[in-house]
Formats: sequence, structure tokens, C-alpha cells
Amino acid sequence: MRRYVQTPGPIGEFSTLPLLQRAETRDLLYVGYGLLIVALVLASYLMGAFGWLPHDPRAMNVGLINTAPFTSGHLLGTDFLGRDLQSRLILGIQAYFLPGLLAIAISVVGGSVLGVLAGYGGGWVSAVVTYFDNLLDSFPRLVLILLVIAAFKADIYAIMIVLGITSMPATANLVAGKISFLRQKNFIEAAHALGLPAHTVILKHILWLNCRALLVIQATLGMAEAILVETSLSYLGFGVQEPTPSWGNMVQAGANYLLQGNFWPSTAPALSILATILGFQLLGDGLNNMLEGKRRRG
Amino acid sequence: MSKAILEVTGLRKDFSQFLGLLAKLTGETRVIPAVDGVSFYLRENETVGLVGESGCGKTTIGRTVLRLTDPSSGRIVFDGRDITHLSRAELRPLRREMQMIFQDLDAGLNPAMRVRDILREALTVHERPGDAEIASRIRELLEQVNLKESKLANFPSELSGGEKRRVGIARVLAVRPRLIVADEPTSALDISIQAQVVNLMRDLQKHLGLTYLFISHDLPVVELVSDKVAVMYLGRIVEMGLADDIAHRPRHPYTKILWASLADKQSMEASRRVHDVPVEAERRAWGAYDFEQPSGGCRFAPRCPLYQQQGRPAVCTDPASEPALRDAGKGHVVACHFA
Amino acid sequence: MSETLLAIENLRTYFYSRAKRAFIRSVDGVSLSVERGKTLGVVGESGSGKTVTALSAAGLVTASPGVIGGTITLRSNGSARNVLDGLERYVHAEEEDGRVVAVEKDERGWRRRSEALLAGVRGKEIAMIFQNPRAALNPYSTVGSQLVETIRLHTSFRGRGEAKERAIHWLERVRIDSPRLRFDNFPFGMSGGMCQRAMLAMALSAEPSLLIADEPTTGLDATIQSRIVDLLAELKAETAVATILISHDISVIQRLSDRVAVMYGGTVVETGRVDEVLAPEVEARHPYTAALLASIPNAETIRRKSYLQAIEGDVLDTIDVPRGCRFYGRCNRVKEAIRERCAGLEPPLAEVTPGHKIRCWLYPASANTAQKP
Repeated sequence: MRRYVQTPGPIGEFSTLPLLQRAETRDLLYVGYGLLIVALVLASYLMGAFGWLPHDPRAMNVGLINTAPFTSGHLLGTDFLGRDLQSRLILGIQAYFLPGLLAIAISVVGGSVLGVLAGYGGGWVSAVVTYFDNLLDSFPRLVLILLVIAAFKADIYAIMIVLGITSMPATANLVAGKISFLRQKNFIEAAHALGLPAHTVILKHILWLNCRALLVIQATLGMAEAILVETSLSYLGFGVQEPTPSWGNMVQAGANYLLQGNFWPSTAPALSILATILGFQLLGDGLNNMLEGKRRRG
Repeated sequence: MSKAILEVTGLRKDFSQFLGLLAKLTGETRVIPAVDGVSFYLRENETVGLVGESGCGKTTIGRTVLRLTDPSSGRIVFDGRDITHLSRAELRPLRREMQMIFQDLDAGLNPAMRVRDILREALTVHERPGDAEIASRIRELLEQVNLKESKLANFPSELSGGEKRRVGIARVLAVRPRLIVADEPTSALDISIQAQVVNLMRDLQKHLGLTYLFISHDLPVVELVSDKVAVMYLGRIVEMGLADDIAHRPRHPYTKILWASLADKQSMEASRRVHDVPVEAERRAWGAYDFEQPSGGCRFAPRCPLYQQQGRPAVCTDPASEPALRDAGKGHVVACHFA
Repeated sequence: MSETLLAIENLRTYFYSRAKRAFIRSVDGVSLSVERGKTLGVVGESGSGKTVTALSAAGLVTASPGVIGGTITLRSNGSARNVLDGLERYVHAEEEDGRVVAVEKDERGWRRRSEALLAGVRGKEIAMIFQNPRAALNPYSTVGSQLVETIRLHTSFRGRGEAKERAIHWLERVRIDSPRLRFDNFPFGMSGGMCQRAMLAMALSAEPSLLIADEPTTGLDATIQSRIVDLLAELKAETAVATILISHDISVIQRLSDRVAVMYGGTVVETGRVDEVLAPEVEARHPYTAALLASIPNAETIRRKSYLQAIEGDVLDTIDVPRGCRFYGRCNRVKEAIRERCAGLEPPLAEVTPGHKIRCWLYPASANTAQKP
């Protein structure tokens, strides 16, 4: 049974409704949660960078190992060496934050350039770029990363560069798709006919006005991916090494104590990974629905 | 006698078909001449109608004449200046003088920009007016196209078809053009709105001294607004003359069929009276000119009733004698061996 | 005496716009009827509701809420049945001030019931062809196999061999050249006109009693349009199938219809014989019909190169439906004496001469000829 009600009074124009009102509740929840996560990550990064941590993350306190949260003055408890989990979790963000930004910067900027070249430049430029695009896309990411590790010894920035480059085709395809849609509507041609210079058409009309939503979404999803890659690698023992905390290696180290019944030292970072990646993904999803879906409704 | 604002000579536009990578390497190409040697001219403040069915090349002519795509050969002279080979940079200042109204109602209307911003952008492309002047020019444009001020805040997705067309016209008028190529300006609109747009375009022509190349498949409208009409078939002009002559005293068999199809829709008797196409020709109507195996000679021969009536004369299919436009008096030209 | 084959009474099909939180009143109380063997032409512009009316009759409306009221009676094999039978059980509409403001509909339930009611009817008794023929055909299947599918499903020709022969027979009847070769063509290899003929063959091969043709000539080239119109005229004479012909092209309607209904803003504003409604010299006529005919260039206008008589304003968008006559805002024949009525009260469809009904306060119903809208 569905119920439809017409709001009384004059019927308003779609665009006069603010974005918040137009959006579905589910999407607002997603975006809200996502923004919360982003805020926490950002705050934590800054705290870690300036060393404003509640406890020294390396300070071992043998008398207080494996305590539960809210006991003994540690908000999130301690790990198997008595180190404060909260501080270690906060510090762990350092491992992926800047590298992640590098990855999404490469992916978004590189992807846009490729996309514009593929969609906008005619003839052989487009063909060459598309071939190049498909080439990139067909590289197995994991194998490449392992190759980089073998060659450059697990430098997280190198790995993120690889991640960024292998993510370019996805963005490029989306941008090129948008361009071909605009082209079909004679939109680009009309802009030229008016006398607009090429750089205005590309930067203002295509990228800023039409693609910004999809680029933001690509960035959030790219960040989720970067976190996943970094934590997986450090779990496997590459990347950040003990005693410097990274969520991945915290999970790995704490796993040894699972069988003893002390699940918290590995569960806490695992939950953080889950919550954070989910946050970025939902942010991307929610934004996608809100921004791209707006024109399909009504 | 006003001078010619646009002169097109021997225009040719080929589209090459992609036959595969291998073919490219061996140098094999297949070329489809969408526009195959077209010549005409437009005088200032005149309207020339361009009619023909889908695939005849009329849209391509419109885009090529404005240099939105490059011609394969031929000459385009705008206001005495040869623009055939000008670079993009040299063309930019000329762009303001020759504009296009696209078939697609959404062309040029960025879905993320409000009408106000679309018009402001158009006004600032070639000039740098101050804010006050922009405001007054926007008001002037709205008045010219009969659009309400309340529409300025709307996005294109909130406009009706007629409103979108009007915004498109306003955008084009903002740069103060002298020549406008109108590609199917009324096609996607409702009938009552079509009448509004046609009236609007004629009004604008009168007040602003515009010249129109009016491309359309709507024959009555073309007849109404045009001074001269050119009929196209498969990339060539087959007949050209005064609108009244073309409509009431057509000479080329294709033109006759085209105008008779209007009567057809009205009654079988009218169709049988005006239309002298025998039934079998209709069957072969689908076998249009095959560019892959050009049959040579007149392109219309496969569909031509005159060809049938005259007992299939060899001259019509002789590759060496493709009919050229010949003068039939009073500036009326026809490309047919028998007209 | 022809009997009524399809009678649509007071049909209401609404859609809901979430963005504007309002109903799109596409079909707002439409009554039409078609007689066996006759053609009803439906004229209207976009937003008039003509296509949605046809889709509602064929049970093809899927968006929400969809059909919310009315009856559609189809007479077949001697019995009459209501295709919307039982709709009231699934729909509850709240009205305020004579206008629907809320609708509750059990869509899933209604869809099940509707499918049950239409089983055996859709495709078999009511066939439909659409605008943009190439898009309506399956691009991955040959024309021949699509035809055979229809024939095997809806006629007594069940065998593959005989169905194929029947299909080729129909391709010939719609005047497609080389039917045996075209049988194996895919839609993309055929021109627009040919696809339209193929679709016509598919529709008619099921030998329906009613054909609904939605803009069959729009989008085709001029010469092809006239061919399709010729074909429709021939088939009409040969097969005696009743047709609802929807078009905005008045000359097509004039050539092919027996009766005409003019629609505007979701309602029928005029209906009658084609020579009563569309002929140039008629005096009693709805202002919209008159204005529509005047805005098309005719021989006289062209000869004098005069301006077209365009109707002021924009076509009614059926979301913001005004009180009173829907055409009031654009009407150029309003008289001071009736202005208040035009602005405040919607006129009913009144019979002006037998068979000719007009919805306009200029032709008010007299006590004994008034009809319910």
C-alpha cells in the first residue's frame, strides 16, 4: 500500500528546494555518517601529526596489559604490551592519510586529464588515450603492488602512486562518458559556436559544472580503497613496522592473542578499519545519490 | 540589391568510414560524401530554406558553413572574406557574426547553469560589459524572445520546450550575429509552440536585419518563411529557386514527390492527382543510393518516376553524365536531364 | 449499426512527482469510445494525456500511482468486460474541494488483478504500435522471428513452418519489398519506415479487434510518412480493425479518422465526426481546436506570407491544473458574460449537435442534452 499526498498550497519549483530537503533520508544518513568519519580522521591526523595524544603510544606498562575500555584511565583499553590503544589508533592514521591523499590526487587529476583527452580530443588522440586507458585498466593491481614492494622495499608512497595510476581509468571513463553525453546534446559544439575558447569549455563547463560531483565521489571511494590497501599491506608485514602503529600491523600483532581470549587488541583496530572504510564508501554512495540523482527525480 | 553575406562554392564534406585497423594500415579508405559539391549564396536579410529528407546532408551543410566542422574541399566566403581555411584562433572573432540554432533544444544550455548565468556568459564571450550593462542587455534579450523574467533563476531542466528554444535563441542573439543557421528550429516542439517560434524568428529578422539559412523538413513552414528554397538529395542540391516556384511549380521529380507527400496525407485523390509515382517505384524507394557501389549517373534514378516513364534512358545511369544544375529561367535551377 | 468496441469512461491516471510533492494529472476524467471497424483520431499536444490514455487502455502504465479510477469496457466475443474491474478495491482517493489530494493504492495487488484481467486481451484483442519504431523492436532478434513469435502466441498458426509463411504473408501485406529476405533482417538494418511497417505487421498478425497506433508517422521522413498513411488507409479498408489513432499531425488524423477527439491538459475538450471537428468552415468549435488549426500554415497563410496565429502562453502542464476551464489562460474567445464561469468552474462536455460534444462555456449544456463529463 503506497500513499501519495499532494502538499497543499502552491506547487514549488524543484530547484528552490534546498539540497537537504530534496535528498532522501537514507542518503542523508549515509552522508552524515561519512562526514563524521571524515571529521574524525582529519582530527586524528592532526592530533597525531602534532603529537597531541592522550598517552605515549610507545609507553609500555606491563602491569596493565590487555585491559578493557574505560578501565584504568585508558579510554579504549590497552594492548598486549600495556600500550594505550586509543593513542595507537590515532597515530595509526598517519600511515594512510597522506599516502591516501596522494593516491586520490593522482587518480582524480590524472583521470580527468585522460578523460578529457579521450572524450574531447578527436581522432587519433582519443584512440591512443583510450588504448592507453584500457592498458592501464588491465594491469592486475595486486601483482603490480607486489612488484613495487620487491623493487622499492614497501615504500607506502610508491605503492600509493601505483594505486593512483591504476585507478585513473575508472575516473577517465566516467569523465569521457560525461563528455560524450554532452557532445551528443550538441552542447560542446554550441559552446564553440558561441566563441568560447577551448580551455573555458573544458575547465568550466565540463569539469567544474558537470563533473565535480563524480570527481568528489571518485575521491571518496579512492580513499576507501587506499585505506584498504594500506591496512592489508601492513597486516601482511609490509609497510609500517612495529613499534610504529598502523591499523594493519596492530591487527596482525594482536591476532596472536586471540586464542588466549584477548580479542580486544586486534578487534579494536579491525573495527576501526571497518568503520572508516564504510564511512568513506557510504559518503561516496550517498553523495552520488544526492547529487547525481537529483535530475532524475521529479 | 543587397550583397551576398554568404557564398558557398563547390562545398564537399566527406566522412570516412572506419574499416578496421588493418585497413588503415594498408591505406584502404571508404569515403562517404555527405555533402558532394554544393553551391549557393545568401543575401543579407534573406531567408534561404534548405529541405530534404534524413541523410541528405542538410545538417552537415549548416555545420560546415559555420566551420564547426572542416570542409573537405570547396570555398566558403562570409561577408567577402574567405573563411574556408582560417584557423580556430582567427575564426573566434568571426564567430559572433554567424551563429547556429541547434536542433537539440538542450544544446548550449549547461544543465548546471541557470538561465541568468547562461545569458551572462554569452554576453561576456566577446565583449566586457559592466554589470549594469549586462543586466540591461539581459532584460532586452528576454523582451526580444518574449520570455518572462521569472525564468532567469530556472535551470534548463525546469523549462518547457518552447522556453528552452527561446533561451537558446536569446543566447545566440547575445553576441549580435548577422547570419543564423537554424537547424530544425521547430522540430521538437508542439504545434502551437512551433507557431510562436516561427513568428518570433520572423519578427527578429525584421527588427535585427538577420539572415537565415533555414534547415527543416517541415515543408509548409519552410515555404512560409523562405525567400528561396534549395532541395537536397543525397548530398547534392537538385533544385533551387524562389519558394513559391519550388512549392507550386517544381521541376525536379524529387521535389514533386516531396511536396506531393504533403497532399498525400490529406487524401488519396489529391495524391493520385499530383503524384505520378507508380507503385513499383515505391517498393524500390528503400533502395537508396548505395555509396559502396555507386551506380553512377543521377543519384535519384533508382527512385525516379521520370526514369521509369521515359523507359529507363541510359543517360540517367551513365556515370559520365551526372546531371548538373541548369538554369530554368528566373534564377530557378534544376539538376535533371529531363526537367 | 456499429457497436461500441471499446468504451473508456471517466478514466483517471495520475503520476506522482516526488520533487514537487504533487500529482501529475495526466488523464483527468477522460471518456472516449471506438466503434467496431471505425477509427478514432485523438489529437493533442504534449501533456494532453493522449498517450497515457492509450497506455492505460492497454494496461501498460507501470509508474506510480497509475490508473486510479474509471472504467474501460471492451466488447469481445459477444461479451463485455471491464478491464479495470475491481479497481476501487485497490485504490482509495481523498478529495478536497473537488480535487484529489491524496491517493492510497495497493499497487502490487492491482497489478496482479490487472494482469489477470488483461490476459489474452493484450496483444491478441488490443494491439499497439508505438512512435520510434526501431526502438520498439528487439534489436537482438530478427524481424521475422519477432513476427513468428506473435503469430504462434496469438493465432491458430502454431507450427513453426506455417507461422513463418503467415509472417511472410503479413510482411507482404504491409508492402515490405522482398519479404523473404527481410524476414531475416535485424531492425538496425532497416529504415525507419520499414521498421514501422514491420511493427504494424506484428500488431495486425495477431488479428486484433482494436489497434492503438501512437504517433505512427512522427519522426519519419515526409515521403515515408505519406506511404505509411496510405498503408494504414488500405489496411483499414481490408481488415476492418477498429483503430485509435493518436497523432499531433492534423492532416494524418483527417485522412484516416472517422471520429475525432481533441485532448488538452488531460481531458477531452471536443469530440465528434472528423468533418464536424476539423473541417475549416465549421462554426461551432472549441477555442483550442480553432486555435490549433489556425496555427498551422495553410495555403492562404503561405500565399500572403502572414504571421501564424499562435496561441499565447505554454501548453498546460498537468501538475498545476487551474480551477475552472483548463484553456482559460490561453483562450482568445472569452466573453465578459461568461468570464467568471470560465475562471472558476470547469465546463462539462456538452452535446452541441448529435454526436458533437464540446467542453466550453460558450456552448453550455441545455437541460436535456447535457452529458456527464
